[in-house]
Amino acid sequence: MTALFVDEYPAEARLVKAAFLSSFIAFGIGALFGIIQALHRTDIFRFIDSIKYYTVLTGHGVFLVIAFTIFFLVGLYQWAVTDSLERGPVDIRFTWFWYGLMAIGSFLAAISILAGFLEQPPMVLGAELRANVLFTFYAPLEANPLYYIGLALFLVGTWLAGIDWFRTWWAWRDENPGKRIPLRTFMVLTTMIMFFLGSIGVIVSILVFILPWSLEITESLNPLLTRTLFWFFGHMIVYFWLLPAYLLWYSVLPKLSGGRLFSDPLARVVFILFVLLSTPVGIHHQYMDPGIAEGFKFIAMTNTMFLLLPSFLTAFTVVASMEHGARQRGGEGRFNWLRALPWRNPAFTGMALAGLIFAFGGFTGIVNAGMNINYLVHNALWIPGHIHAQVGTATALTLMAGSYWLVPQLTGNRLVGRQVALVQVVLWFVGIVFMTNSMFRAGLVGVPRRTAEPQYQGFDYDVGVGSMGELNAQLALGGTLLFISAMLFLVLMLLTVFNNDSEPLVDGTLPPALSGPEDSPQVLDNLRLWFGIAFVLVVLAYALPLAGIVAQSGLFGQDIPPFPVSSEAVIYLEFGLEYVGAFVT
Amino acid sequence: MRIHQYEKLWIVGSMILIVGFIVTITYGSVGLGITMIGDEEETIAPDELNDDEQFGEPRVEQVGENEYAAYVVAQTFIFQPDPIEIPANNEITFYVTSRDVIHGFYVPGTNINAMAIPGQVAELTVEFDEPGEHGLICHEYCGSGHHTMEGLIVVQPEDEFDLTELSAETPDTVTSGEQVQLNATVENGQLEPLETTVNAEIGDQTFQQDLTVDGKSTQNVTFTAESTQLGVGEHDWTVTVDDYEETGSVEVVSNETAAAEGGEES
Repeated sequence: MTALFVDEYPAEARLVKAAFLSSFIAFGIGALFGIIQALHRTDIFRFIDSIKYYTVLTGHGVFLVIAFTIFFLVGLYQWAVTDSLERGPVDIRFTWFWYGLMAIGSFLAAISILAGFLEQPPMVLGAELRANVLFTFYAPLEANPLYYIGLALFLVGTWLAGIDWFRTWWAWRDENPGKRIPLRTFMVLTTMIMFFLGSIGVIVSILVFILPWSLEITESLNPLLTRTLFWFFGHMIVYFWLLPAYLLWYSVLPKLSGGRLFSDPLARVVFILFVLLSTPVGIHHQYMDPGIAEGFKFIAMTNTMFLLLPSFLTAFTVVASMEHGARQRGGEGRFNWLRALPWRNPAFTGMALAGLIFAFGGFTGIVNAGMNINYLVHNALWIPGHIHAQVGTATALTLMAGSYWLVPQLTGNRLVGRQVALVQVVLWFVGIVFMTNSMFRAGLVGVPRRTAEPQYQGFDYDVGVGSMGELNAQLALGGTLLFISAMLFLVLMLLTVFNNDSEPLVDGTLPPALSGPEDSPQVLDNLRLWFGIAFVLVVLAYALPLAGIVAQSGLFGQDIPPFPVSSEAVIYLEFGLEYVGAFVT
Repeated sequence: MRIHQYEKLWIVGSMILIVGFIVTITYGSVGLGITMIGDEEETIAPDELNDDEQFGEPRVEQVGENEYAAYVVAQTFIFQPDPIEIPANNEITFYVTSRDVIHGFYVPGTNINAMAIPGQVAELTVEFDEPGEHGLICHEYCGSGHHTMEGLIVVQPEDEFDLTELSAETPDTVTSGEQVQLNATVENGQLEPLETTVNAEIGDQTFQQDLTVDGKSTQNVTFTAESTQLGVGEHDWTVTVDDYEETGSVEVVSNETAAAEGGEES
């Protein structure tokens, strides 16, 4: 057994642990909010006011898809860069600096969200401290400026993390001239190029438009413009959630299966395709938006379909690697090799089940991407079904499974409760099957997403097969199983961290791929080239729609004032009067 | 670059699948004519909605033979108009905008789905084959009362649908000896002329008049009753045109009472 990561790189291991700790705290709160929602919207158990539901919903989104995923990502990527380059960052103080920025940013965003539970929130920066705007924060709904400041700091911290890894790689390159970029570092660098490019949209949206407007420096904004800038970032970010899982599937899963990665060159091609295609597709979230021409929606649709390719390639490589591993372990036959896989290993089983859900969820994504079919499902519960299959399982379950393998190497402690861990990952799988089954079906009959009470006065849903009660029961059951699974995971992590006087049972070495980087052309490692092409594709996809939106209704819109979600009474009054006024005149 | 034989096959298969998806979606757009919400409509500032010709008074309007336009304003936490009444088997083009924040415009179980964005107007054309009622909901989070935001779309049988509006009025009081005048106004919002009969009752007197209202126009009818025949006291009146009915009452007062009241006022 080789030396553990914690013994070889103790300083870096500390940072990875800190990032994982932040990630898991966010995961715990987010999971708690998840079960509250599952019980509330199905009307099975409502113990909060429906107005507070939107505080819970905002927290669920921000804590899980921003904090949980991205803190885990930076931890995992710090491990991947350090381990694959066999060296630490150029200056670890810089590394702690970006982690600190991310931590402060997420803390500010978190308190501005959680203040929504107070009956009388304090005044901060000239406004009530609240942020009931969900993680998409569509203006003119307005949160406290602190929320936007927090998000901006978090994003800046993530940018600096990327720069840090590039610096580490540049230093390594000087020491190792002519060598190919190690695969895991390649994955980290390409992911970050994708992030740099795609996050420009949301950074401009926050810093140029929304933050000055919430601080009353500017008076108006263009809601379609800020929304489009959000989705410029918004589809890239789903791959930012997903690629840490890909990194684990490509590097760790083949080893856990008992073999090695099938093809290193194809893995590089997959990550390059994500760099190229994950941003110029964002308009597929806006198929129903007025003010964006049909032609641009068509371009987004075709780009999205081609974005299936890297996931199809991944499906092949991952399954082929698993089969190779199984055959190394004595598996035989056309399908019988599946039985030779290490199903008792929670790290393996978690990742394999996550991959299975990802394949299914991917097909639901094709439905979403089909622009005219999207009319049936846009903003229906189908969409959260898709999200929970993808980021909620493909990513989350893979990260949990990866933790069972990685955390012992970071702490030097043996994993506590390996059998329980196996139950935990299977429980997650069962929970997500129930919950997403309900969400997909309910979405098809028109139950909307993002609402505290999807029960209406004027009509009943036309449920073809089954009943609304059965759909609700499945959703609540699934949500409960997921919550129990999440808590089990956190308990096991906690126990492992304190399991001091033990030796881990894991072997941290990762074998090289069957077909190594020498089988691929050097050009794959030309990151400048891929960045350049990606940049051109983004310009092609976005220059005209953005210009059109600005030409139609102006950079700062037509007198669109903020709409704080806080002072409800004032809003009712003001718009009630206007409504009456409209009838009188 | 070395790629395994099976992997090559897989890539080719994946590409065929991807192109196949694009072809089916394109067929839906071009072949079946499912158009997307686009940018054809002019923008409109939310604070100018009240003065706007279309959205100042959100409504359904006939714009051609078997073609109707519905102007809808979404705002926290209602839709205007509500209910939206439309005929079956006709092309209905919805124009949807928002007065405040981003809302949704969604008829569950159908593909009627649009975002209502302040400043923008979403245009979508649909046709309902069957009469019936459909819920209309906001499917984008728009604030604390989001879950209460719903409207109703009432699809009426084509032959029963009209855009007739009836209004009627009399003075509140009439001095005995003077005439009681009941003014009824019939508005025809459709393009075809409306041929109908106006029936009226004032107290125990009945009236009837045939009426033709041209497309997109208004006709007035006046019915006159003698107050002396009605007698002093409160008298109910009713006007009906097709299924529409307006009611009210008029009080006939004696000369003395009128003079006394007049005296007090002066």
